[in-house]
Amino acid sequence: MKGIIYSAVIVGLVPVQSVLLQHISLWGVKPDLGFVAVCLIGLLGGELDGLLVGLALGWAMSLFSAQDLISSVAMKGAVGFLAGFAGRQVVYLSPVVLVMGLLVVSCLAGLVVPFSVKLSAQQDLWWAVWTVVLPQACLDAVIGGVIYWLMWSRLNIEQLMSESRM
Amino acid sequence: MRMVNLRAPYSARRVALVLAVIFVLGFLLLPGQLQSIFQQAGSPLGWIISWPLQAVAGIHDRIADVWGRYVALQGVEAENQQLKRELDLLKEQNGQLREASVATERFAALLEFKKQVLPTSVAAQVIGRDTGNWYQTIILNKGSSDGLQSDQGVITPAGVVGRVVKTTASTAVVLLVTDPNNAIAGLIQRTRDEGIVEGTTQGQARLKYIPLLSNARPGDHVVTSGLVGGFPRGIPIGTITRIDKEEEALFQSAELSPEVDPNRVEEVLVIRSSPIPTEGERLSVPKSKP
Repeated sequence: MKGIIYSAVIVGLVPVQSVLLQHISLWGVKPDLGFVAVCLIGLLGGELDGLLVGLALGWAMSLFSAQDLISSVAMKGAVGFLAGFAGRQVVYLSPVVLVMGLLVVSCLAGLVVPFSVKLSAQQDLWWAVWTVVLPQACLDAVIGGVIYWLMWSRLNIEQLMSESRM
Repeated sequence: MRMVNLRAPYSARRVALVLAVIFVLGFLLLPGQLQSIFQQAGSPLGWIISWPLQAVAGIHDRIADVWGRYVALQGVEAENQQLKRELDLLKEQNGQLREASVATERFAALLEFKKQVLPTSVAAQVIGRDTGNWYQTIILNKGSSDGLQSDQGVITPAGVVGRVVKTTASTAVVLLVTDPNNAIAGLIQRTRDEGIVEGTTQGQARLKYIPLLSNARPGDHVVTSGLVGGFPRGIPIGTITRIDKEEEALFQSAELSPEVDPNRVEEVLVIRSSPIPTEGERLSVPKSKP
């Protein structure tokens, strides 16, 4: 069942990201739903789920982007694994803490990208921080927080986490 | 109220963490050739994802169509008045063009030759945008199974859109001319000075490496030079809006306003092959035998 859900997430997320998100972009920056999904799957499903879904989603998203495959795959895989590892350390996580966590992790992941991909000389670190990294981190945090809050208010997250990791 | 409860550390997870870090680092150190293997291996995955992608794009287009026809009709009257004024202007221009058309007939033979030289092209529809924020790209509904491959030029009747950077079996990713990572050989039509056109972070374009002695000025048109890349000579790229001359610089540069607005492109032509002979082929230089 989990495999089907994860496959649906991977196949369904790419069209949403590339077709629909252009309409909700702020200052030309759109949230990375793949990052949010990998973080939540890692948190709820554990390291292995986070790592595998992160690798697969990074691969799928790189096919529809000019970003090189290696950085996309490695980044999403690492984020998924670290989210799973972080989720393993906590038994209770409020939406507020999750939003702060997503904000910080998205910033860190965004700061790695300028060093891992070949960007032009115009796109320096300062430009990256102000025009891509920070706006995207804010959007990622808000969307991740809303999804988690919806799940948190309607589902028993602790039970879900313990069941999905068995 | 506690917001976070920490669990007891689990040593096996630390081993897994170390393994994962090694795996990710190893993946980062893979040579570039292996990346293309992964890209090709991802083609079936891309083909699977292209189905929901095209379905979502189709639904999106229909909704946009309904919105455009029935919902977003505010300001139509003002637009109508403006169009009427433009129509009057166009009528006047039409008379001038009739005169010009007589002269155009003289070039018919030349155009016939141009038709023969023009490369074959494939029409494609834009179905999406880049999945990330780092590059300005569009996704086309044609891929390697339609003969598309990397470095092919993408144009509209108005001018250059960009070039193909990635393909799957049924989709292609096009890096737009306004992306700072793009570089296209350009030529100022009036002065015949050549340079490199690259995008800017403001979504415009810039012509670099213009000779200092060039008398290029705002309003000059820049076209493809046809020397390198997947474009034939003479496709419009943009119009110069500003010339930048820095002291002690070896070259000058110019800001361009692209002919094509990449955010509004819906259909494009991909230049599949370039039958324009290279200098060696044209001069029939014999190929050296291995």
